[in-house]
Amino acid sequence: MEEAKAYIESGILELYVLGQLDAPEQQEVERMADLFPEIRSEIAAIELAMEKYALEKAVQPKPQLMNKILQQINAQEIIKEPEIQEAIITPLNTAPAPKSLRPLQFALAACLALLAMSIFALYTTHSRLSDANQQLIVMRQDREKFAATVNFMKNENKDLQQINQITTDPTWAKVKLAGTQISPKASLMVYWHKEGKHVMLDNASMALPENDKEHQYQLWAIVQGKPVDLGVFDADSRPKKLLLDMKAVSNVQAFAVTLEKRGGSPGPTMEKMVLISSI
Amino acid sequence: MAATTKISLTEEQLVKGLKAQDTAAIQALYEQYSGALMGVIIRIIPIEEIAEDLLQDTFLRIWNSTRHYDPSKGRLFTWMMNIARNIAIDKYRSKDFRNGGKNQTIENNVDLINETNEVIFNADTLGIKDMVTKLKPEFNQVLEMVYFKGYTHVEAAEELSIPLGTVKTRIRMAIMELRKHFN
Repeated sequence: MEEAKAYIESGILELYVLGQLDAPEQQEVERMADLFPEIRSEIAAIELAMEKYALEKAVQPKPQLMNKILQQINAQEIIKEPEIQEAIITPLNTAPAPKSLRPLQFALAACLALLAMSIFALYTTHSRLSDANQQLIVMRQDREKFAATVNFMKNENKDLQQINQITTDPTWAKVKLAGTQISPKASLMVYWHKEGKHVMLDNASMALPENDKEHQYQLWAIVQGKPVDLGVFDADSRPKKLLLDMKAVSNVQAFAVTLEKRGGSPGPTMEKMVLISSI
Repeated sequence: MAATTKISLTEEQLVKGLKAQDTAAIQALYEQYSGALMGVIIRIIPIEEIAEDLLQDTFLRIWNSTRHYDPSKGRLFTWMMNIARNIAIDKYRSKDFRNGGKNQTIENNVDLINETNEVIFNADTLGIKDMVTKLKPEFNQVLEMVYFKGYTHVEAAEELSIPLGTVKTRIRMAIMELRKHFN
């Protein structure tokens, strides 16, 4: 144990106890103390002596200082408290992992609610939009109907004016066709412009039974004893036009109307003659 | 002295109490050791008010760094003494203290400290104990400088203009005498 003895006598242990060594030197002393029990007990003896010496050289501070220190420590404990709470919470953190997710869950729920609301709003808007579109279509149809009516009335007005003009114009021949034996109540007015050869039917004064879909009325002109086709027409209770233009003709002796198959026939069917006139 | 009324705990009990952050332990520690720690602080910073502030700092640091104390490395008092000495030395070297202390350097301050200490360590005013232990003056001087006044043994050698080896020897001899005396 010569090594330990020499180490003790070097005086390094005293410097160690007096806090005079740097960190590597301190570690060296501690290593030696671990190796040699007599070094450890030597250190303990030096420490004890220095402690007694310090106690002997004590200078008593003011007695109030104790309370000041205790107050500071207590104040510090209050400040420290949150830290302690934190330390308690930390181990629990493994379990309440959902806790940290809770705000996210709320956010997700809020998002879903928002999405549902948006879809509902979108659906409502969409159905309102299609309602509006429907209404628009109806209104457009109404407008077209109205425009058609206006157009019809305009034409009607024009026709009426023309009729009025015809009645006062001597160049227009106003020919009244009367019913034959098979249709005594029938009647029709035909306007014929002698110079322009223009022929028109007056729908307003027409009194003919309505024809079916297979048949149409056909107007004939008798020219030099022979029937000339002037075109077909329908007997409608609600005619689209007041005046119906027919084919032009001149030197007419008489007008006649027969009921023919739809589209007309090349020659009149005499037994189906419903109207006849003479000029 | 009223020492008999003080709570006296064994070192083991004190360490256990401190580590458990039991304020009763710091109280007992204060009662047992405040004077000894004040002794080293006031010899480095010989102004009572400042020294008491530093003593307070010392106890707070002891309280807050208990976990750093390893009983297998040495006695609790040695550890506390080093804390107190370091706090006092830090203060001594700090700008604010030195500016307040008339810009004196540590070297030419030694005599002043010694003189001031002579005045302050008046037994009547500060309750300092009688020097029971009488050491040979040359041993006492070196030990006082290193143990109580914050000198490193290198600084003490320079201050006293003696070889470092001699300083080490004198420290060892002084402590040997103390051990003889206390046993």
